[in-house]
This record gives sequence, structure tokens and C-alpha cells, in this order.
Amino acid sequence: MNFLLSINKRQLIIWITFIIILILVFFAFSFISNEKSIPKITDITTNKSDIVKPKFSISGQKSEIFITAKNGNFISAEKILLEDNVKFKSKEFQLVSDNVIFDRKNLVATSENESKFSSKKTFIVSAGFEIIENGNIINFKGQTILKIK
Amino acid sequence: MNFAKLIIIYMFLVSYPVSGTARGIGETEITTDDGIEVFQNEKYYLLKKNVTITSDDFEITADRVKANFEIDLYDITSLEAKGSSNLNAIKYGVTGKGDEININIKLEEIIVSGKNSFLNMQETKMSSDGSIKVNNALGTFELRGANSNLQNIDLDIYGEYISGVFSEFDDKKQIKKLNVEDKNLLTIKTENLEMNAQKAVYNDQTNIIELFSKVKIVKGQEIITGDYGYFDTIKNSYKVKSDNTSKVKVTIKNSNE
Repeated sequence: MNFLLSINKRQLIIWITFIIILILVFFAFSFISNEKSIPKITDITTNKSDIVKPKFSISGQKSEIFITAKNGNFISAEKILLEDNVKFKSKEFQLVSDNVIFDRKNLVATSENESKFSSKKTFIVSAGFEIIENGNIINFKGQTILKIK
Repeated sequence: MNFAKLIIIYMFLVSYPVSGTARGIGETEITTDDGIEVFQNEKYYLLKKNVTITSDDFEITADRVKANFEIDLYDITSLEAKGSSNLNAIKYGVTGKGDEININIKLEEIIVSGKNSFLNMQETKMSSDGSIKVNNALGTFELRGANSNLQNIDLDIYGEYISGVFSEFDDKKQIKKLNVEDKNLLTIKTENLEMNAQKAVYNDQTNIIELFSKVKIVKGQEIITGDYGYFDTIKNSYKVKSDNTSKVKVTIKNSNE
């Protein structure tokens, strides 16, 4: 018997319909996510950040720590809330988090958000962090995992 | 059937990024409940509350741990575990427990201290209310403090201070040199003998345990006391001597009593 004649037509229609629905759902999702990722003109014009792409540095004993973020808002004259992809980078390590409060006067940085630290052969994930004493002391807060390769 | 296979493949693909967070071969994973404090200039970090250190070869648990490093965080030279500290290195037949466990990786030294502390190395079991120190590189051991005890297949030793040297034979630790001291009398038990004195010295070159001061040897019903004694571990024979001020005393218990 011909192979095509042996296929159950009803089942075939169900499968084809299922695949079409799957493809449509996939395209719908990708369309929605694309829509979200494109910044609207109204969003750009109403950006209320005090500082766009702020940059700071802490001069440590060993090396300088450079701080970057997408946005920064003044909490007080000395304290700035750094938001979105906040990075602390030095020769020895990189620390990434969101929503970091940086004290420009005392050079202290604190965060209560998930923080990811990486240095040579070392990776740390914590529930927050605090950098004090010009970057000499890094205090990873809460439940913390350290991995050494 | 094919659908079941698809589900399995799908689940494998979905679970792959999750399994990426698990400890890999050769990796050391440290978890804490209350964070890690890194002191970069001083070159150490403090691991706080419910600390677990897991590697391929061992696991350490403690309330808190200080890790000293040389170059960067990965390069740990020593660990100081405090509060309900446990060491488990099944691969090497080493287990330990104490209030504190200090491990010096460079010197290959382990110190377990605190009440009811113990360190088991293969068939050698050491316990103390003071401290137990073993240096793997030098092959030395030292137990200090009350209720110090060292046990292996041949000997059961009690004393305030027990020190000596291990030698490795057929992958088993054997006592090469031994020094035991206790002002309240030490005890060395063999299969059919019990010895007491204030000091005992053993050397595997002579195979003799020498006993000094307030010596007492008990073998079955026979009790011999004196000022100096020795026990030949090969011939299973012993001798007790006395100085000029006292005499050797032999007491034979009546088994019918």
C-alpha cells in the first residue's frame, strides 16, 4: 500500500493545525518582546534620571575601582542611587548588581540586590554587598555561594 | 513513544542551564547563610554562618570559617573553622570533629581542638578535650589536654600529652616513635597487658616501650610496680626495676577471691 494512503487524515489535520498554532504563538511572542525592547519616544523624553551613564572611581591601595551604571539618581548631596547594570571593575575583579547606593564622600557602596562577583578562578553570587575602606573590604551579604575553579 | 523521547530531550535541554550552577568536577563550592567578608589587603575572607565547603576530595562544615589566601581568593593557604566544625575526607579515610579545625594546606597540617574533639585517620583514632595536631608532610602527631587518647589495632594510649611520628606501611599508618606523658599516670593497653607510668617512650627501632616513674604493669592476675620498666613488643616480655629508695613489688591476685 502507498505510504501516503496509510496516514490517518484526521490525525494529520490535527498535527498540522497544532504546528501552525505553535508557529503563530512563537511569532506573536517574538513580536511582543520586540515591541517592548524598542524604546518609545515618550519614554526617552520622560527619562527622569539625574545622571545618565554615571561614572565614578574608588582609589584603592592596590588598584582603582571604576564604577559605571545606566542611570543615577541623587538621594542626598553625597548619596547616589545607581540603577541598572551597575558595574564595579578593577584589575582584580568585576562586581555586577542593580540598585546600588554609592556614597561619594565616604566612598562606600551598598546593595541589597543580587550581586555577581568574578575574579581569577573565582565566582561569587550573593544577596547583596557592601564595599568599604576604599575597596579593601567587600562584604557579601546574605546567602552566598562562592565557587573556585 | 516518540513523544516520550521528545519530552525527555526537552527536559534535558531545559535543565541544562540549571545544572550549570551545580559544582563541577575539580571545583570547590562554598556556601554560607550570612555572607562572606573579603579583606583584600590583609588577604583573608570570613565565611559566616552555616558554612559548607565542598570539593572533590573533602567536605568541611562549621559555623564560621576564616580562609587565608596568597594571591587571590582561589589561592587558599589555610582554613580556620570555628564552632561545630566537621571534616570529612572519605577518599583519604580522614574524619574529624571539634570546636575548631585549622587546616594549613601549605604545611599539610590539621589541628582539631575543643572538648570531645576527634580525628580519625584510617585505622588510627585520636580524641582529646584539648587539641589534636597531625602534620602529614612530617608524619608527626601531637595530642594535648585532658582525656587525650590514641588508638590503633595494637595499642590503646591514654595520657595528657601524646606525641610521635607515623610511618606509612602498605598504605596504613603505623607508630614509628611515641612519647606519652601524664603527671596523673598514663595508660597504655596492648592485647594482654596494661601499663601505667608518668612517662612512656617507644621507638620502632628497638620495639621497646620504656616506662618512667610510678610504673605499674598489669598482666592477667600479676601486678608489678616500680620506678622504671620496659615492654618488648616483639617478645611480649617486660621488666620492672626500682631505684635505691624503693623496691619492685609484685602482687598476684587470687583468681578464686
